[in-house]
Amino acid sequence: MSLARPARCLFCTFSRAASAGPRVPSRQFHLSSIQLADRKPKLPEFNPPEGKTLDEVYRDLKLEDFKPYTEEEKAALKEEYTPEQIAAIEAGEAAIDPKDLHDQFRLRRDPMRLKYLDDLSSIEPGVDKHVRAPKTNADYNATFKSDDDLMEDFVQYFINSPEDPEPADLVRFLETNRVTHGKEENELNGHSAIAPNFLNEGETLEKMGDNVEERPRYRTREGELTYVNPDEPTEQEKKLFQVTGYSRDYIKTLYLKDLVVRRVSNQTRLGKIPSMSVLTVAGNQKGLMGIGIGKSDEIIDACQQARARAIKNMRPVPRYENRTIFGDVKGKVGAVELELMHRPPGFGLRCQHLIFEMCRAAGIQDLAARVNRSRNPMNTVKAAYEALMSQRDPEEIARARGKKMVDVRGVYYSGRKIFKPWHETPRVGGPRVAEGEKKIE
Amino acid sequence: MSLVNLSHVCSHLNNACKARLGLTSIPNSKLHLKLCLALQNDGLLSSVVRGGPTPPPMHPILGTPNAIDESEGLEPLTQSNIATRRLWLGLKYWQSEPVLGKLTMVSKPTRRVTIDVAGLRRVIRGERSETVEGIRSPGEALYLSTDKGILEARECVEKKLGGLVLCRIR
Repeated sequence: MSLARPARCLFCTFSRAASAGPRVPSRQFHLSSIQLADRKPKLPEFNPPEGKTLDEVYRDLKLEDFKPYTEEEKAALKEEYTPEQIAAIEAGEAAIDPKDLHDQFRLRRDPMRLKYLDDLSSIEPGVDKHVRAPKTNADYNATFKSDDDLMEDFVQYFINSPEDPEPADLVRFLETNRVTHGKEENELNGHSAIAPNFLNEGETLEKMGDNVEERPRYRTREGELTYVNPDEPTEQEKKLFQVTGYSRDYIKTLYLKDLVVRRVSNQTRLGKIPSMSVLTVAGNQKGLMGIGIGKSDEIIDACQQARARAIKNMRPVPRYENRTIFGDVKGKVGAVELELMHRPPGFGLRCQHLIFEMCRAAGIQDLAARVNRSRNPMNTVKAAYEALMSQRDPEEIARARGKKMVDVRGVYYSGRKIFKPWHETPRVGGPRVAEGEKKIE
Repeated sequence: MSLVNLSHVCSHLNNACKARLGLTSIPNSKLHLKLCLALQNDGLLSSVVRGGPTPPPMHPILGTPNAIDESEGLEPLTQSNIATRRLWLGLKYWQSEPVLGKLTMVSKPTRRVTIDVAGLRRVIRGERSETVEGIRSPGEALYLSTDKGILEARECVEKKLGGLVLCRIR
């Protein structure tokens, strides 16, 4: 019994019942679909000529049965094939002697037969593309027969009826004669009342009738046609653009990384309800960085949430010479206590992967880190974020103390400033000098 | 030179900064006074005034204690009142954060740490020298007691002086 088909509604019993054979007053007590194809002849199968076995076929083959194509057949071939293909076919025909063909022709049934001769008339499951049943039996182009058409049906019936018609035949004709043009399934077993086809294909509540515009289709990267425009931003993206003020192109250039992906579960009285939690870092690799956490039943949804939040949370990270941090900073979240240390140019990022990705997103190139006590991934990321954001600006310190400050590293030879402050344009290049001390005088 | 009292001063200043006090007092001693003057010289304290048990009169506009008050004048320091003298320190804040970050003792009463010039050079370059950690953050400072008074680590290197490492400011 199939549950795929919805239960029939009460009113359906008043409408004309779908019966394939002669109508018998019976109610449908099961959910399996009605066999509609009974009345139709099945697909033509390969049947040997009636009254002949395969051996007889072989025996009766004559040499005359293998003859070259006639002119009519050649004309038919010409419609189907290109001249080169026809030439190939003719060459193949000419290469085989009809006598050999007659002698050796055999339909092999033994297990050693060659198996490359595919029977393309049948659908082989697992090899061929699966052919599914139509989603609906509805035929949008079905029309009712006019009076003339019905009259013609009657005339045909009476012409074809035998000499002495029985009343049962007439009843059968009346019950099985179709009243619509179009697909037979539509008339016999159309849409159900539970999921009715209110609208035709392509119709909306605003636009109904004949002049329905065809919805545009778009090609995805994989080459499939969909109704979803890949260039059109989703609702979530639109909201993000609105909140952040970033353009779509800019967001595409951002560095995004899902750092922590884990399955979490909520224990309720109904049992454990699992969901996915994702922590993402986003940055423009030029001093902006943010982290975001997303939770959802689906991993993809959680990732999208986390990424949107990370982009929304992007804040400027102070960078010394656009490559490292100002001084050593510490962060603590939960039991994770970590320390980030500035390093000279060319040192690289010598730290664990989570902090590495964060520094990469922020555009920090020289850094060392030490994570003490716990190393919980999520708290590590949070603590590193806290540490990076807790950097103190030397300019602010100097102003607070009422002192003038000179960055010794930024002064080279004749007092020419080589490195611009971190909040100005990114550094182009400069001589590599030893790490100097930032002196507050 | 009592490092116990100096430790108490450091803790007291940390607590006063956390409580966002504008004015606080510490016991008077030559060591405390010199250190406070060094801190004031570096812009970490707004004022250092030696006064009695009550806070000194405030400047009408600046809101900080006056070293020399015009109306009452400075109370002279005598043998009879020296025991009751206290140092009144004006604390600074910038953008609701204390300018005097965190004071920690380097030398302890049970272990005094001295450092020579070579070690100090390494320290101000950000490297560690024996038990003294390098100065690695902007605004960090190390105060030493030397023959020429209490000086900051960089001044000590300028003057090629070593000495007893007192405290560190972060």
